[in-house]
Amino acid sequence: MGKQLKKRLDDVYQNYLEGNITRRDFVKFAGIAGAALGLAGGPFGLMGNAFASKSITCHSWGGTTSEALRKFAFDPFTKATGIEVIDAAFTGMDAFLTQVKASYPPGGEFNIAHLSAVYDYARYTDLGFGVVLDESKIPNLKNVMTKMTDTLRGITNGTLSTVPYDLGQTGIAYNTNHISKEKAEKLGASLLYDKSLKGKLGSWGGDFRTNMWYAALHTGQSPNNITDVDAVWDALTEQRSMMKKYWASGSELMSLLANGEISATVAWSGRVAALQDQGHPIGYLAPDGTYSWMEYMYVLKGTDLEVAQQLLNFMLEPEASIAVAQGQKYPPALDPTKVEMPEDVKKLPAFDPTGKLNGYLFADPAYWNKHQLEWAEKWDRIMAGA
Amino acid sequence: MKEKPWKPWLLLSPSLTAVFLLLIVPVCFVVVYSFWLRAPSGMDIPAFQFGNYAKFFADSFYPVILLNTIRVALETVFICLIMGYIPAYFFYRTESRLKPFLMILVMLPFWISFIIRTLSWINILGDSGLINHLLLKYGMITTPLPMLYNEGAVIMGLIQYLLPFMILNIYVSLDGIDKSLTEAAQSLGCTEWQAFREVTLPLSLPGVSAGCLLVFVLTCGTYLPPMILGGPNNEMIANLIFKRVIGTLDWPFGSAISVILLLLLVIIVYTYNRYMGINQIFKSLSKG
Amino acid sequence: MKKLISGWTLIKLYTILVYVWMFAPIVAVVILAFNPQQFGTFPMEGFSFKWFVKLSQNSTILDAFKNSLVLGSLTAVFATAIGVPAALAFIRYEFKGKEFLNTMLIAPIMIPEVILGVALLLFIRWLQQPKSFALLLIGHVVLTLPYVLLIVQARLVGIKREYEEAALSLGASPFQTFREITFPLLAPAIFAGMLFAFTISFDDVTATLFWATAQNQTVPVQIFSMLRTSISPEINALGAVMILLTVSIPLAAGYVARRFARGNTP
Repeated sequence: MGKQLKKRLDDVYQNYLEGNITRRDFVKFAGIAGAALGLAGGPFGLMGNAFASKSITCHSWGGTTSEALRKFAFDPFTKATGIEVIDAAFTGMDAFLTQVKASYPPGGEFNIAHLSAVYDYARYTDLGFGVVLDESKIPNLKNVMTKMTDTLRGITNGTLSTVPYDLGQTGIAYNTNHISKEKAEKLGASLLYDKSLKGKLGSWGGDFRTNMWYAALHTGQSPNNITDVDAVWDALTEQRSMMKKYWASGSELMSLLANGEISATVAWSGRVAALQDQGHPIGYLAPDGTYSWMEYMYVLKGTDLEVAQQLLNFMLEPEASIAVAQGQKYPPALDPTKVEMPEDVKKLPAFDPTGKLNGYLFADPAYWNKHQLEWAEKWDRIMAGA
Repeated sequence: MKEKPWKPWLLLSPSLTAVFLLLIVPVCFVVVYSFWLRAPSGMDIPAFQFGNYAKFFADSFYPVILLNTIRVALETVFICLIMGYIPAYFFYRTESRLKPFLMILVMLPFWISFIIRTLSWINILGDSGLINHLLLKYGMITTPLPMLYNEGAVIMGLIQYLLPFMILNIYVSLDGIDKSLTEAAQSLGCTEWQAFREVTLPLSLPGVSAGCLLVFVLTCGTYLPPMILGGPNNEMIANLIFKRVIGTLDWPFGSAISVILLLLLVIIVYTYNRYMGINQIFKSLSKG
Repeated sequence: MKKLISGWTLIKLYTILVYVWMFAPIVAVVILAFNPQQFGTFPMEGFSFKWFVKLSQNSTILDAFKNSLVLGSLTAVFATAIGVPAALAFIRYEFKGKEFLNTMLIAPIMIPEVILGVALLLFIRWLQQPKSFALLLIGHVVLTLPYVLLIVQARLVGIKREYEEAALSLGASPFQTFREITFPLLAPAIFAGMLFAFTISFDDVTATLFWATAQNQTVPVQIFSMLRTSISPEINALGAVMILLTVSIPLAAGYVARRFARGNTP
């Protein structure tokens, strides 16, 4: 019984997408269907019961991201299907992987996760947490920038265990009261090594990749193929003596910049946009070879794929995607040539109006994951001054 | 009561069961893990080898962090003791109606999350924080004093977190002392100070030692104050474990560091118990 | 006599200074809850209740707050319920392996929580059990047990056994003795132990991070996850509200009690 109704819901949703019924009608029908489902499935068949009380968990970034997702994707989804979405907040990328790795049943507790960076896509997949999505069930996937899906497909032999969701950069933030725009643009990545900023520099202590990436740019190397690793370590050792604080969280990054404790640091583009929104004198610099990354909704093994695919489709609705982008200040994965974007999204750092992402440099997952253990430890030693 | 040898075991059984199942057994897992290998893909490979331990002692990097942690912990204990004993003594002696209220105030900082409390020091000690703001405003300095991101700031954060533990532990044992003892001592001609030194202070030592032990051990296990208030030189062993276990997902090595820290703490607690420890004092008191 | 007073004044002064120091960051948090700017520092630019209004509409934080309260209260009850008998066993009885067991029960504070968190997860994965609220609760009880034990033991040592023995020799049952003699003398320590257990549980981040399921997230875990983007001053507002409650309830209770006392003795 549950399956049949769900099928009908799919059909109605399809109709709605094709423009045959209005959103209002759709929601109304969904409500009636939900009620019918509840009645029909009530005291009888376990099947209906199991379906009615079903839930799916989505781990995301909390705060404005969760609010937007709840309003524009989760609530409509629950109305349409009767399936509850439990939205939980991450406590950090690495902590989440630890939790997933230690969970039982494998993947049972975790369904969809809003992950960052392609190398993590490779890590989750290598650890065997991936699934193969039926892309025909996620029609909205056609609006996503193809470069993003292609990058992910490359890791999982042409299939997808995820849908790309948004786009970000780790660029350089600087205090415009202390550093002029001309100077910043002239120096590029070397701004982070400028002697006059001694004691006023910050960097992300939690990630060896970010630091090595900019050291590679500073020493004139390609970040995805560092030939002279020692030069990178030397540059980082030298930079350490000028460092005020290796920050550990976005919150810390924002307060260090907002309070003028540091004048320049590597920074997540969305956080800089949030500071600029609040009127702080912070400039954003994206030099050649800026570290770009993408965020995506990863579906973990053990999840009911039917439900997950439906939910992903709701999440990729332009309305939901754009609201999330406005909340977290990272541009959506939707191709701006296919979906009209509002002005404030177009102004976000890392936004690409062409939808082609040419010139965006992502970290090569195979390269970085191969060296992870060795380099992470070396980075710790440099930070600690050993 | 001696005729019922099973009685203490009955009283202990719920705690022992809980601690055994949720602590001892899981820790055995950690010990087992510390001998495993980690594949570059992130998989853990069962093995029995001492490579993880060898790595820890391969050069001075990790041992130095361990020693720094112990030094910071001792400094924290010392300052907490100096800052905590007098307020605890004040609670013991005061006749004020406000006493219960003042006691609850000691616990009040805990109502604001540890993370927030720690971050809050930035508003006070930072370049644009309260102290620098006032000093600059009244022209006492011309450039902000750098007070954050050093060992002092870390210890500040640690004490803020741990002082209530010290105060309450000392107070609880002071409160058990019969005040007529000091009166008796004074009527025998002791000065107030002598009475304190000869009677009150020795009797309050169980609380002092419990407080010191608690503060020491908790310092060794926290990673948030060094992470938030520390500079790059203030790495502590718990940060390292956090990074290895959570950051690089290197559970075998993280486990090995944990086992080393654990062994060290067990030795310290054991020695403490043996020579000046809680149980020793309990015994002498209950005999006397 | 004069010297005595000055010594006492010094003690008072010292205590006040320690309080000032201890409350400096708390006061900063409460003040900044009224700052309209998100990254407010001193001097404040304006005054607003905006974060309090936002907080009252934020169901995520309020739910987490409720979870924290329930978890903390249950932890306090269970930890004292199993901790007090254990403390009695250690202080009132002689038996083999006492020191070892005492150390073992205090062990949960010696193990860094990161380790404890992951270790427990490994164990339940091995048992093939999913995470649950019960696990979180028992975990917190184990974490807070040492505090209850330390406090209750320290107090128990000071209670003379003669009192209990006198009651027993007068024909009271062991349970009556505990209820009539030991418990009232022990009550402050039990209360302190509960307060400690509650606050430790209420403020625990690391272990809860690993043990909590998606449905029972607590306030500290929420704050930890906010670190990634930015911590909303709503959290400062929540802190201010809690401080207000904890300060005002005992004061109000004391005031009411005095009013009643005065009313009875005209």
